[in-house]
Amino acid sequence: MSYTFIQVLISGVLLGGIYALISIGLTLIFGVIKVINFAHGEFLMLAMYFAYWMWHYWGVDPYASAIVLAALLFLIGAATQRGIIQPLLKSPASMQIFATVGLSITLQNVALFLWKADYRTIQTAYQASKITIGELAIGYPRLVAFAGATAMTIVIFWFLKNTFTGRAIRAIAQDRMAAMLMGINQKKMYMLAFGLGSACVGVAGGLLMPIYYVFPTVGTYFSLTAFVVVVLGGMGDIRGAWIGGIIIGLVEAISGFYVPALKEAVYFAIFILILLFRPSGILGLGRGFEEVAQE
Amino acid sequence: MRIRSVSCLAICAMVLSLGFAVIGSPAEAAETVKIGAVYPLSGNLARLGEESYRGAELARIERNAQGGVWGKQVEYVVADAPDTNAARSEAERLITRSNMKLLLGTYSSSLAYVATEVAERNRVPFFEFGAISDPITERGFKYTFRTCAPASGFGTIAVRVIAELAAPKMGMAPKDIKLAIVYEDSLYGTTCAKYAKAEAEKVGMPVVADEPYSAKTNDLSPVILKLKAANPDAVIHTAYIADAILFSRQAKELNFDVKAYVGQGGGHSMLDWAKAIGDVSGFLNVDFPQFKINKAYTPGLDEFIKLYEDTYKEPPHSGHSLVNYFGAKVMFDAMEKAGSLDADKIREAALSLDVPEGQTCTGWGVKFDPKTGQNVRALPYGLMWTKDQEQVTIYPSEAAVAEIIVPMPTWRERGQ
Repeated sequence: MSYTFIQVLISGVLLGGIYALISIGLTLIFGVIKVINFAHGEFLMLAMYFAYWMWHYWGVDPYASAIVLAALLFLIGAATQRGIIQPLLKSPASMQIFATVGLSITLQNVALFLWKADYRTIQTAYQASKITIGELAIGYPRLVAFAGATAMTIVIFWFLKNTFTGRAIRAIAQDRMAAMLMGINQKKMYMLAFGLGSACVGVAGGLLMPIYYVFPTVGTYFSLTAFVVVVLGGMGDIRGAWIGGIIIGLVEAISGFYVPALKEAVYFAIFILILLFRPSGILGLGRGFEEVAQE
Repeated sequence: MRIRSVSCLAICAMVLSLGFAVIGSPAEAAETVKIGAVYPLSGNLARLGEESYRGAELARIERNAQGGVWGKQVEYVVADAPDTNAARSEAERLITRSNMKLLLGTYSSSLAYVATEVAERNRVPFFEFGAISDPITERGFKYTFRTCAPASGFGTIAVRVIAELAAPKMGMAPKDIKLAIVYEDSLYGTTCAKYAKAEAEKVGMPVVADEPYSAKTNDLSPVILKLKAANPDAVIHTAYIADAILFSRQAKELNFDVKAYVGQGGGHSMLDWAKAIGDVSGFLNVDFPQFKINKAYTPGLDEFIKLYEDTYKEPPHSGHSLVNYFGAKVMFDAMEKAGSLDADKIREAALSLDVPEGQTCTGWGVKFDPKTGQNVRALPYGLMWTKDQEQVTIYPSEAAVAEIIVPMPTWRERGQ
């Protein structure tokens, strides 16, 4: 294997980490509430703007603001669940989709109105620093994003497996009716799950700012890929989102190197193939689970 | 029934003709010449559309202060065209309802493309001051005139900057310089790349990499790695802002250095890009005339800036106002010479204009190609970014205020 090929693989895995970072929250929300949050990318946009403004006005390092952003986005997510999704839970899936698509468009335009279409970037001392092994280069901010995604996957997975609240969330994800009969507070768990999923993009916003730039429609750059990742990994599966992210990152890097003109075609072809042959994804929770908003 | 509707029609016709007479006469009495202006003044394109309109407006104010055209004051009838549908209908309205005999505009290529088409169909001359897409003047229209540089000039000048300025400094002949052409794959990037490739072939510069990519990508490392493998001496890159930032950041990460790197306007002209990169000294770019230019080559530029600041109480936002100001002045000269707004007389007058380079506020000359209506003496300029994140003119040499730095600093030398 040549040096270039190894570098392509490294780039792919690191890019995959970024996709995983964004997909984890999306898959969590989907897995529990069975709602596809089309405004997920816009939540990321908000988080990135908050990270930018915190850096701009108070000089807060985006990695430090990631923690604050997680809390902030948790509140925004929980409020969205309570105010927009909850009243629509009994409505057909299309209604919920319209609601989140509407929210996404609203947020984009509010951002455009408040902050203009300028591209804003953060300058940090470490943004171009890298680890060099021979001729190979691993960008430090990308490595941090990758590590963040991995840590987040482990923490959330552990939380769902081992804590009482985590088990309650899983219970309600598996069988809404039965869980409610067991005395689990559905509204509370849904708010918690939506908040947690949104908190993930809060962290992502902080970790991505040293790499990317923020503008009102930045979310659309990532959300489409995040949907592919979620479907590939199995809707609702946290580990699946991590693995799916890496796979898509690798596919993008390799096809981008060898067949650049077909880069997007390649991973959307994969998307269609998965939907055709394994709609529940690599680690899918079994057939029928991909159904949206089943009562 | 029939009689009634006929009489109805007759009354309507009478009222209408009366109306026209009433509206028509005072305009003739007052000594004004009305011409139609089509610009995007609302919507997405409004920011630079407004800046463009200001340039044309300043030229009008100045002309009127100097006595106007044929001793009459010039007045614009302004139409807002935020999108192509509006451009079509507004051009139509200005010509058929407001009876305009001459139109100007538009800043945006897609708007210009449809507006000029409407004008041509109605035999109304159209002066385009700011849209750069080549096909606007490649349709064989008789009454469309473009005063500014076309897109093809960008790729051409980029290659010339490398061949004429950078090559001697590298101690290499143009034919020994390995050139890589990178571009986002929409119409903008592919157009610039096409003309860069054509010019490279002309000067015998070998193209070792030809890399299109989607401007919406999240990762340009595959592109950069391919460039690294091709090991070029110079890169010509056409990008919007997001991909320009991403490319520079990842090039820094992957240690991709070249001796000369030329942008093609777009993202590489924007301060947001420079801010995202930090030290941008030595990065080259091609664009419309900027304000850091040899003033001896652009007489009238300082007066323009002063007029702008006096009128709008702020400095110009971009060079868009300047090129529109230049264009409007050329148009007024053509009108003056034609003696009337008759389409063929305007065409004849426009084609007879002959101003060499270096005598106008943009440094551009005036000579319209009778086949296309393109001003062949307008080409974009070679620019270089400084440490202070300003663009200074380096090409052509008559307009230059700084000397090219070749090889440009490597990423390591830039620190961080």
